[in-house]
Amino acid sequence: MADFMFFTFAGIAVFGGLMVAFHRNVVHSVFGLVAALFGVGGLYWTLGADFLGATQILLYVGGVTVLLLFAVMLTTSDASRVTLLRTLIMVPIVGFLALKVLEAYRGVSSIVNDTGHVVVDAPAGSGTTPEIGNLFVSPEGYLLPFEVAAVLLLVVLVGAVTVARQRDDVAAEEGRGPGGSKPTDDGAREEDAVHA
Amino acid sequence: MPDETVLAQASVAGSLESYLFVSALLFLLGVASILVRRSAFYILMGIELILNAANLNFVAFARFGGHGIDGQMFALFVIVLAAAEAAIALAIMVRIFHDFGSVDITRTDSLRD
Repeated sequence: MADFMFFTFAGIAVFGGLMVAFHRNVVHSVFGLVAALFGVGGLYWTLGADFLGATQILLYVGGVTVLLLFAVMLTTSDASRVTLLRTLIMVPIVGFLALKVLEAYRGVSSIVNDTGHVVVDAPAGSGTTPEIGNLFVSPEGYLLPFEVAAVLLLVVLVGAVTVARQRDDVAAEEGRGPGGSKPTDDGAREEDAVHA
Repeated sequence: MPDETVLAQASVAGSLESYLFVSALLFLLGVASILVRRSAFYILMGIELILNAANLNFVAFARFGGHGIDGQMFALFVIVLAAAEAAIALAIMVRIFHDFGSVDITRTDSLRD
């Protein structure tokens, strides 16, 4: 049963990755990414990381993918095709990297075989969630990174709005600026936020 | 403990190598996606694939390496960083599309002039 689940999820993940790398259509590639992320989430479950698997599905498959689809929608691109010249140049590089990665994989495998497997049993009953929660709020654990991540998310929220916003001076140059720029400044900003 | 070792080597899902292999494949597909395409979307998606490969390594080593749950914590922070990165990348792409008319990375060369 564990083998079956492993092969299913690994197959989904690799198939999705292939779609991302080689499919012609942008939207299909995004759905390939959904499949890949879902497969990785399933692999987390087979590894006994139940909370992480749920987070993967919620955050990645639910959040990041919607962001990507929004980006595709806002910027319909013509540059999605695989270009022949670029492919020909990059194939040796990717092949070389593949060799290196497989070498490293073999090296790690031999180390693992030397030291033997230590299989940690998943905590019985409630899963990993209580332990992760305790680690997040304990000062000996990950309290500081947790707070830093909170600040980072705030910065990203403000930064994304600032970067994507239509700037007022640029808008005025393009003649798209608001008629009376002084009083309707806030209105224009709201409009831009809607566009962004 | 020896019984567990034998059992782990008997089944594919119970061995670290199989997870590392899937992770290596995902990493290579992400690198291929970054290098082969010209659109910024594929670069972003390739980065997501690479981050997922790294996460899978974290979780697999945490499970089989006997280091407790720390690998899962690292994977959680990586997920947060990836979400933040995707949001910023989307904002930058919207700006680039507005200024250049496409998200083709070979066309965003105005710093050269």
